[in-house]
Amino acid sequence: MKREEIANRVIKVTARELRKTPEQIKEEHHFAYDLGADSLKSIELVAAFEEEFDLNLNENEALKVQTVGGAVDFFSKLLP
Amino acid sequence: MKDYQLQDVLEPNLLKELFPYSLPPRIKFENSIKEIIDGKEVEFDPKSVISRDIHITDTTFRDGQQSRPPYTKEQMVNIYRLLSKLGGPQGVIRQTEFFLYTQNDRATLDACRNLGLQYPEITGWIRANKADFRFVKEMGLKETGMLTSSSDYHIFHKQNQTRREAMNQYLEVVEAALEAGIRPRCHLEDVTRADMKGFVLPFVQKLERLSESQPEHSKVKIRLCDTMGFGVSYPNVAEPRSIPKLIWRMKEECGVSEDRLEWHGHNDFHKVHVNGATAWIYGVNALNTTLFGFGERTGNPPLEGAIIEYISLKGDLMGIDLAVITELAEYYQKEIGAAIPPNYPFVGRDFNTTRAGIHAGGLRRNEEIYNIFDTTGLLNRPPRVAITDKSGTDGVALWVNEFLGLKGDQQLTVMKVAKIQRWVMDQYEKEGRLSTISDEEMEQQVKLHFPELYEQAKRKS
Repeated sequence: MKREEIANRVIKVTARELRKTPEQIKEEHHFAYDLGADSLKSIELVAAFEEEFDLNLNENEALKVQTVGGAVDFFSKLLP
Repeated sequence: MKDYQLQDVLEPNLLKELFPYSLPPRIKFENSIKEIIDGKEVEFDPKSVISRDIHITDTTFRDGQQSRPPYTKEQMVNIYRLLSKLGGPQGVIRQTEFFLYTQNDRATLDACRNLGLQYPEITGWIRANKADFRFVKEMGLKETGMLTSSSDYHIFHKQNQTRREAMNQYLEVVEAALEAGIRPRCHLEDVTRADMKGFVLPFVQKLERLSESQPEHSKVKIRLCDTMGFGVSYPNVAEPRSIPKLIWRMKEECGVSEDRLEWHGHNDFHKVHVNGATAWIYGVNALNTTLFGFGERTGNPPLEGAIIEYISLKGDLMGIDLAVITELAEYYQKEIGAAIPPNYPFVGRDFNTTRAGIHAGGLRRNEEIYNIFDTTGLLNRPPRVAITDKSGTDGVALWVNEFLGLKGDQQLTVMKVAKIQRWVMDQYEKEGRLSTISDEEMEQQVKLHFPELYEQAKRKS
């Protein structure tokens, strides 16, 4: 899957889960500091990514991802 | 100042020699303990607990019963059977004592004896007078405890006697027991508040003289009764509160051997278990206990605590069946109706239950982080988590995986249980809830979100 498609889908899911518009989400945004995701919201976001990309993620690795761009890179590696 | 350098190791040092996890943590001693007695330094060897025949005696049916409504005969027989199973074939729980006063007392003793179990051996308990002594003879017991109060509080204010009158009365009953071939066990009541040199030591020396002509199995035993919990374990405490000095005087100045010395404590100052263990370490072989510490007022050394201490000191189970502790606790709560506080060590409902999310996270990663030892394997009590607004998604994941019996790679991640955690948080943040989420509520959530896994788990159980 192309990085651009992954980025669009990551931003779409992030916007939906964090109740923002896609235009408000930038790759450099930190999920917690910039977008206001608390610990449960972060977990729910990863759960939503699992659903979006139909993956079962490793909990430790997935929860290390801190930024939107980091998530795009993470899924780019998993979905070549 | 000695300079310590960080050792940046690649593998963790989990100190397994002290914390084996498959057993309760070890207690190891490095050196002798020193005490000053009468201006002279004396030494105790704590390592001797490994080779000495330290053991537990039980007074659940005597002191333990003084604090509660009487047990039925059936209850006592069942408890006796379980005590035997718990203590194992080497008799770690060596003896238990019975009242002999009522027909029911005597019928119960007979019923226990008729089980034919080697341990715990059955002994009696009487006041030191000849009228009581006939019960011991009638029941054919080999050993009986007898109340030989040692403080002036008891001698003067309770018994209304002089010291000489009290001592003569005690000695008379002891002599009668020895003549009848019954081993006397003198309970030095209130010894931690007694005049050591003016009464206790002369009395015990007299008892030792009576024992000189007796075969080993008949020599008088001494129970050191810390009746009001005044005993103190610290080094160099003034007498009569010092446990080390009391034991030293019994052994060195009276000649009572360790196998004839016993400690009996009370918990009035929250010192009961440590005082009992201290007595073991300083040279007493028998530690008198009751199940769950039930006993007069604040209670006695808890038997289950002594069992764990015993294993920690010996470094071996020595035939003990620890899971029986859980069986006994369930029996007490369900059949006898006794209340055991939820946070009570080893048996309380929540003794290995965490409510903190950060602890639940640790437990999920490696249960040894927040569990005292292998409570699943030894006590049949897996570590648990109670779900509140503080237990976090880790707590929910731990609860759900344990409920579903999922291990290793099968376990659900925090992402999979996030919907349940959202429901939990909504309970507190939106509904204003203040109570813990019950197991039944959690089960309903599992059924709702994981119907297939729920059905599988139900079929398995």
